[in-house]
Amino acid sequence: MSSLIPTMRHVRGFDVARPLSIGMLVFMMLPLVFLPLLSIFIFGTSKGLASFWAALTAADAIFALKLSMATSFWATVFNVVFGLFASYVLSRYNFWGRNALIVTISLPTAIPTAVAGVALLMLWGPYGILGRLLRPQGIEVMFTAGAIILANIFVTFPLAFGVIKPVFDTMSRSLEEASATIGATRWQTFWHVTLPSLRGAIVSGALLTFARAVGEFGSTIMVSGNLAGRTQTAPLYIFAKFNEGQIEAANAIAIVLALFSFLIFSVLFFARDWLDVD
Amino acid sequence: MAKAQQARSKEHSYPGPVKDSGSAYAASILGLSKSFGKASVLENITFHVAEGEALVLLGASGSGKTTILRIIAGLEQPYTGQIILHNKDVTELPARERGVGVIFQSYALFPKMTVEKNIGYGLRIRHRPRKEVKKTVNELLQLVQLEEHRKKYPSQLSGGQQQRVAIARTLAYKPEVLLFDEPFGALDAQTRSHLRREIRALLKKVNVPAIFITHDQEEALELGDRIAVINSGHIEQIGTPAEVYNSPASEYVATFLGAANMLEGVVRRDHVEVGSALIPAHIDSEKFKEGEPVKIIFRPEDIALSVTQPLPSGRACLAGGIVEETSFVGAYERLRIRLETAGCAPGQTSETPYYLTTETPENQSAKPIIATRPKPETLEVKLQRGDRVFVGLKFFTLLPKTTRNK
Repeated sequence: MSSLIPTMRHVRGFDVARPLSIGMLVFMMLPLVFLPLLSIFIFGTSKGLASFWAALTAADAIFALKLSMATSFWATVFNVVFGLFASYVLSRYNFWGRNALIVTISLPTAIPTAVAGVALLMLWGPYGILGRLLRPQGIEVMFTAGAIILANIFVTFPLAFGVIKPVFDTMSRSLEEASATIGATRWQTFWHVTLPSLRGAIVSGALLTFARAVGEFGSTIMVSGNLAGRTQTAPLYIFAKFNEGQIEAANAIAIVLALFSFLIFSVLFFARDWLDVD
Repeated sequence: MAKAQQARSKEHSYPGPVKDSGSAYAASILGLSKSFGKASVLENITFHVAEGEALVLLGASGSGKTTILRIIAGLEQPYTGQIILHNKDVTELPARERGVGVIFQSYALFPKMTVEKNIGYGLRIRHRPRKEVKKTVNELLQLVQLEEHRKKYPSQLSGGQQQRVAIARTLAYKPEVLLFDEPFGALDAQTRSHLRREIRALLKKVNVPAIFITHDQEEALELGDRIAVINSGHIEQIGTPAEVYNSPASEYVATFLGAANMLEGVVRRDHVEVGSALIPAHIDSEKFKEGEPVKIIFRPEDIALSVTQPLPSGRACLAGGIVEETSFVGAYERLRIRLETAGCAPGQTSETPYYLTTETPENQSAKPIIATRPKPETLEVKLQRGDRVFVGLKFFTLLPKTTRNK
């Protein structure tokens, strides 16, 4: 930009482009992000903290928040463990179809979440390929908390994998070879040598997964059944309350989720150095 | 095969492996071969390492020396051959059961462990009592003089310190043999020569046999009790540094280990005929037949130069020559000398008929030789470009002219 207006670059040693660019960036972010976020806080607390608190502690609201946290937690646990395993296999072994597998694992990033929901329904739903067979046995996968976890995993798996695998790829093989020559078993090497080097990636992957899973809407609304007090997660609660016209109720939960994601990203951003310390 | 060296004094035998009474060899590598696809990487590699001995595998990159090391460590499998460590065949054992200490070129210290954790790793994974781990770690920290750095992480140490941690880490579990992979590749020249002496002293102290691999001839000469010169997957020569340097078994060894000049000649009873000169030589009649064409290999420092005839030290004169270039290289002077086709007789000029005793006399006269002179000599007799000199040989090696297969 400064090359387009060379005369503006330096006015008596002062770089005009600098404050101008920064100001422009902030100005652009205002209507896009800052103001919308600010609005939920202003609106949510406009009727006083008491009504905000009441909206927050409504039984269904509490349940929705708890359900979101629980399902996201289990999805995160799965993602970290399986993400580690997948990264290990795909970065340590070279085999036919390896790249195809990497693409497949990463694909859900690009799939609309509603499609993910439909896909899960087509497999596990009452008329789905597997669901049809399971139903007579009394096994119902969809419209349960388990379905929400499945949807969360489907949508968030590439996140943990995408953070962990590059670290595996760049990790020197000689560390593992050294450990082996010293006398360690594969498991000891993984536990004492490989895993500590992945600490930062694991925490980042977990936080990203968790943040994304807590907010997941598109796939969850399709597979959960959206039953208040039973399978309604926090984002679904916000949507439902808003549709019912209970804007304060929707807003209270929105504030909680906004603060929560803010917290997670602060940790991710500021703890980076600590996590990657050598 | 060079003779095995007997285990040397073991007054500080900490923490070397228990010596097996059955054999003087700490490690025997027998008939290793390996190929990747059709390309043969190693051919019938056989050598032994005596107790407490330091053997250097010297070779250019791609010569296969790293593969040998990785096979001994168990990180790669040979096609054929055996690895015997202290009378135990470990060929089929995985790396972790071999008890071999590898000092990787990058040191491969565990980045999330402190110095003392790194050193104690081998004992911790063997579930040794905490007290024993602590004691051994303390002893090793003292041995490699890193006591004040025990709580540091590898990234906080210099290259030389990291290397000492890597060595201590392997010594902790009393390795059968230490393998050093290009140990000084990542260090600057000054640190290098300093560390070489340090490691050599350390190895003598702990009396653990060691195999080094390097492409640096200076390093090989300084570190090794013996040197094995590896060329494209086979051993060209194995012997003490003096043997390998002074009597190279092949032209490759001669040129890889230091600079060497080469001339062609013919065996004449107890002489070698080079051009018109007859040089007295000890001819091994089992190796060379009368009239057999040979290569005469000699080092730049083995050349005697004189501006007068006969040569001062009583050496037979090889040829006259013209100084083409002189350069000052610190401790000595290097000269490029073009030999004349004419012999050494005074007053002879190049018009004099030349005895065509070798097949390609043109090659010889066209090829300048490199000579070096120590400083005192350069001060005494100044030589410059264009000066005529007489060239004699103080020392040389004869090799058959036909390159032996393999």
